[in-house]
Amino acid sequence: MAGGTGGLGGGGGGKEKRGSLAPKRKKKKRVGFYLDMTPLVDIAFLLLTFFMFTTTMAQPQVMEMSIPPERQEQVDVKQSELLNIRVRHDSQIFYNIGLDAPQALDISELRNLAVNENLRQKNRLITALKISTKVPYGFVVRILDELNLAELDINSQLLIDGLERERKFALVPMTEEDITEIEGL
Amino acid sequence: MPKIKKKRVGFVLDMTPLVDIGFLLLTFFMFTAKFKSEAEAEQKFVIERPTASADTSKVPENNLATIKIGVDTVYQDTSYYYSLSNENVRLTVWDQQENLTDEMRQKRLLKVPLETLDGLIRNTRAASVKTRFAIDADRSIEYKWIEDLMDVMQRNNATAFNFVTEKKQ
Repeated sequence: MAGGTGGLGGGGGGKEKRGSLAPKRKKKKRVGFYLDMTPLVDIAFLLLTFFMFTTTMAQPQVMEMSIPPERQEQVDVKQSELLNIRVRHDSQIFYNIGLDAPQALDISELRNLAVNENLRQKNRLITALKISTKVPYGFVVRILDELNLAELDINSQLLIDGLERERKFALVPMTEEDITEIEGL
Repeated sequence: MPKIKKKRVGFVLDMTPLVDIGFLLLTFFMFTAKFKSEAEAEQKFVIERPTASADTSKVPENNLATIKIGVDTVYQDTSYYYSLSNENVRLTVWDQQENLTDEMRQKRLLKVPLETLDGLIRNTRAASVKTRFAIDADRSIEYKWIEDLMDVMQRNNATAFNFVTEKKQ
């Protein structure tokens, strides 16, 4: 306490020359260092708007696809193990197993169908997807997406049975026969 | 008396929080920004990608060959477009490809018919086996365009590729 007062007294004594300034400072009520940030903020916001407009937020994702390499040899397939999914030019889906009559199917039921049929036949089912050339590409991707989603369920179910999933899937070009068969349905 | 001392220079607003947020956003956008490639800058059409369920796989950034199919508009017909992300591979392939005009060789996004695309894919496969293929097509396009393209790819042994999609909302 005594030292403090002594110090203050000494300080006061030393600042005698600047005594005229001291009262001013007290009055000013200094709140801190102040810098004009306007140009900085201008540039910062300029850059900010630039980056905001040039950046693309939603990165597109991909759906992986693989097709078999070109081969001449014919593979024989049991009709009872073949799931035909055909898509007519007006995006109507038909399915049949082997030589059964084609049945109309809504896209929302496709996943269930793929899961059930695959589980029923364990790993043997071959899915052949035949799509009319007039179907919009967006719809094709939706079908492939449904089949990919079905794959998840099939995988987990088969794993319970201790089986390793082997996907047998082919995109087959539509033949004239296919077109006539589902035309009037 | 106090009025004269104050020397008011104008209205002062504490901009510190504003600047804080401003710089926060600035750094965020600077780090996340991805610039358009030159091939994309040449693209004069908009592709409405097909939607698929959420997938974590993204378009590969390097060694990518993109085949775009732009839907026809008032200004142009539906056509295939080809671009390569790797500049070295692109130069080799562009050079090797026959029936390209000098003007076309300057471009990074080639508008090509299917027959030329066949040669381009073959040359790309020869120039770099690491190149992956992506098909980026408009969702309203007829499947025929994709089927023909897949035939060409199959012929050239490019049997694994990606469809570029958009996340379903």
